[in-house]
Amino acid sequence: MSNRTPAVSPLTRRQFSGALAAAPWLASAAFSAQAATAAVGQAAPDFSAVDTAGKTHRLSDYKGKLVVLEWTNPGCPFVRKHYSGNMQSLQKEFTARGVVWLAVNSTEAGSGDYLAPAKLAGWMAEKQGQPSATLMDESGQVGQLYGAKTTPHMYIISPQGQLLYAGGIDSIPSARVDDIKTATNYVRQGLTQALGGKPLSVASSRAYGCSVKYKDAA
Amino acid sequence: MDFKRPLFAALTATFLIAFGAMPTVAVAQNTPLNLPGKSSRGAAASVVTTDQVRAELLAWAPEGVEPGKPVWVGLALTHQPEWHTYWKNSGDSGLPTQLDWQLPAGIDAGEIAWPTPKKIPIGTLANYGYEKTVLLPVPLTVAPSFAGNQLEVKLKAAWLVCRKECIPQEGEFALSIPVRSSTAASSQLFQDTFAATPKPLAAGASQVEVGGGKSIKISLAGLPAALQGKTLALYPETGSVIEPAAAWQQAWQGAVWTAEVPLSGQRSESPASMPLVVALENVAYRIDAPVKGSWPAPAAAAVVPPALEAALRANAATGAAPVQAGGTPPVGLLAALLGALLGGLVLNLMPCVFPVLAIKVVGFVQVKDAATRLTTGLAYTVGVVLSFLALGALLLGLRAAGEQLGWGFQLQNPAVVALMAALFTLLGLNLAGLFEFGNILPGRLAGWQAKNPTVNAFLSGVLATAIASPCTAPFMGASLGYAVGLPALQALSVFAAIGVGMAIPYLAASAIPAVARVLPRPGPWMLTFKQLMAFPMFATVAWLVWVLGQQSGVDGAGALLALLVLMALVIWAFTLRGTARTLLAAFSITLGALGLWAVGPNITRPVAVASAAPAAGGWQAWEPGRVDQLAAQGQSVFVDFTAAWCVTCQYNKKTTLANAAVLADMQAKNVALLRADWTRRDPAVTAALAQLGRNGVPVYVIYKPGRAPVVLSEILSVDDVRAELAKL
Repeated sequence: MSNRTPAVSPLTRRQFSGALAAAPWLASAAFSAQAATAAVGQAAPDFSAVDTAGKTHRLSDYKGKLVVLEWTNPGCPFVRKHYSGNMQSLQKEFTARGVVWLAVNSTEAGSGDYLAPAKLAGWMAEKQGQPSATLMDESGQVGQLYGAKTTPHMYIISPQGQLLYAGGIDSIPSARVDDIKTATNYVRQGLTQALGGKPLSVASSRAYGCSVKYKDAA
Repeated sequence: MDFKRPLFAALTATFLIAFGAMPTVAVAQNTPLNLPGKSSRGAAASVVTTDQVRAELLAWAPEGVEPGKPVWVGLALTHQPEWHTYWKNSGDSGLPTQLDWQLPAGIDAGEIAWPTPKKIPIGTLANYGYEKTVLLPVPLTVAPSFAGNQLEVKLKAAWLVCRKECIPQEGEFALSIPVRSSTAASSQLFQDTFAATPKPLAAGASQVEVGGGKSIKISLAGLPAALQGKTLALYPETGSVIEPAAAWQQAWQGAVWTAEVPLSGQRSESPASMPLVVALENVAYRIDAPVKGSWPAPAAAAVVPPALEAALRANAATGAAPVQAGGTPPVGLLAALLGALLGGLVLNLMPCVFPVLAIKVVGFVQVKDAATRLTTGLAYTVGVVLSFLALGALLLGLRAAGEQLGWGFQLQNPAVVALMAALFTLLGLNLAGLFEFGNILPGRLAGWQAKNPTVNAFLSGVLATAIASPCTAPFMGASLGYAVGLPALQALSVFAAIGVGMAIPYLAASAIPAVARVLPRPGPWMLTFKQLMAFPMFATVAWLVWVLGQQSGVDGAGALLALLVLMALVIWAFTLRGTARTLLAAFSITLGALGLWAVGPNITRPVAVASAAPAAGGWQAWEPGRVDQLAAQGQSVFVDFTAAWCVTCQYNKKTTLANAAVLADMQAKNVALLRADWTRRDPAVTAALAQLGRNGVPVYVIYKPGRAPVVLSEILSVDDVRAELAKL
């Protein structure tokens, strides 16, 4: 029925049979080591982080789903620009379409912008934000892993765990709410294209905003 | 100008400095103060002051406003200590200051002549910007048509001022420049700024070399001799190409300055030339260096793997989450567990599990006392559950390693199919009475096995699982699709639930004495029954040979049959005694080995066209994107996700999907029929299944443009399909 040649290379089949023959407790050895830093078109590095409710999330938990990573910091005017409604509507629209949306706050605990988990959750609730989870990353490890530089800084990860998009939320770098209307929203465009099976016309852009308030490198 | 200060203070005092999301908007207008006779005092100024910045609109027109004469305006920003604003490439974060001019007819503003910035490190990041005082000068071009005594300049400026925190601010400025007299009060600032602005140099032999690596090699030729041997600062005007904060190398090679600078991992620009500014203290030069070589493959090209593309296209018709027409929707872990339990139970009735049923019935009758029966029941349960866990762990492990696999994945491998065929042949020959395991296995092992019915029961559980696994029973499809997306522990609990479900009937039977009483007493009938049960075994072999035929063609299937015959010969030889046994065993083993060497590889050799059946009855091959294409033409699509090794699939295909009424309805509704074949591993099909929340076959989906895809029940009834079609 299918006239496509099966894409099974002899090597993978041999590994496959080998793994099959091996006792299942060896299967954990098949978990591959992850690459160091995120790059578009490459495997998105796995991470685990605790959300504002204390629940641990691993990126690998969401294999099979499109995942959005949104770097956030309520103290940043650019974040607040987009939380005037733009970010919430994106979150709502795409989580309803099965996309997993993880807001990540990499602000160090010593920063003036730092919000404790409960306060951050409170802010998100007050803004009626609807991410799937809001993750705490005080150590900045997740942020450094993804090379997140600004708030907001947006990433789209494919169901196969590849980084599809890294960059700004839209095409007009400004702090003006009015510019949202006229800007091309790269995240909406990217997610729509990914859900539609099309390659992303913009796979990376310049992220704009405040710098992420990282903990100083020890 | 000094006399105006109090007035400015009064004006600026009214400015609200918002430390928040709303940009600070400040307006200062001083045009009414340009009284006649005072204009010769120089440029009128307009100032906006915030807590962080004092911004002032300045003009410099030493020879008046005339065509061909230098006329400059500019925004001077004086920062409070620690605060900064940004250069045209702001680096890792920040925004360049923006100037929007409103000018009368005949006057055109040029670009900002950006003064040389400095690198401002912020933690692990770096920005390019200005501290203290900076003037952003803009040249004005005066056309001969320009007329008037005053040049009215209006400016809307937006700047982002940052320390660690950032505040976007805006200001509106107005300035009146006398046309016929000199405006030179800010001469010094303009002159100093011009001196600090990078001087353009011809590109000459300068270049930026781009390789496949993670850095670029810059070489700049034609820099003044005074710079040679000195360490220079580098500022690329193009943003998002290099890592501003990363360590980099520089060296002088004679008169040529070279540098190796790391590329950004998330580079969004691939310029054909890179304007670069190099600076030594206050002296700076700008060279627009052409890029040699090609940028590392544009990341966008490799962004969507084919599998993803296929998966997403399959869902593109609506973009909405698939709707369940039958079975249970995947809501939460509890529902998944329940579905799995039920699915495991129903699994016992699936055609592929039938031979196991036969073995169990035979085994069950032989056990006499209730205690042993319960023990074997438990052992069987443990065997089933552990095997499901093992398979689940293997599946999850391989998926985590990046393999595109789904439930039933074992049978996508021809080697596994062949091994299972051998296993079933062995069982069939045993049941038929060709041999007893005791005659073949080493005496000690055979005796141990016979004395341990518990072990036997455990092993039969393992066997049952191995055979049952390719069948996805109703309810199980959604649970498994949901399970593979869960964290490992929860996913495994779903697999365990299937095992428990499958074992429950035997466990119940072994625990309830009434069941044993209903069963007939052991007797000669058992031998007949045992021999009868050999036939389902051989039937299964016939099916497996057919499956292999789909995967590896007629040569593979033929090779498998030949090897099965040779295996039977070897086994028969071992049942003999004395010299005959020695001779025939040696002979048959040699023959078997020869056969394996000669035709064995055929079994795993994939055929170029792995078609399970020729397109018939209007069925077309599913391809990634095909649903999308058809949907774009407004056509509804029915997709049959199937595999040769999936008995349920084959059953549905031969019954419901071949039903004349169903096919007539499909035709009446102009539904395109697509068949997605998963007999061999196919990442595109796996991904398409994942998009529907499934991880195994069969899956039947109806796509209608503008509507969420409808997933039908695995046990496809004619009525269900027709009811769904009626809704189109």
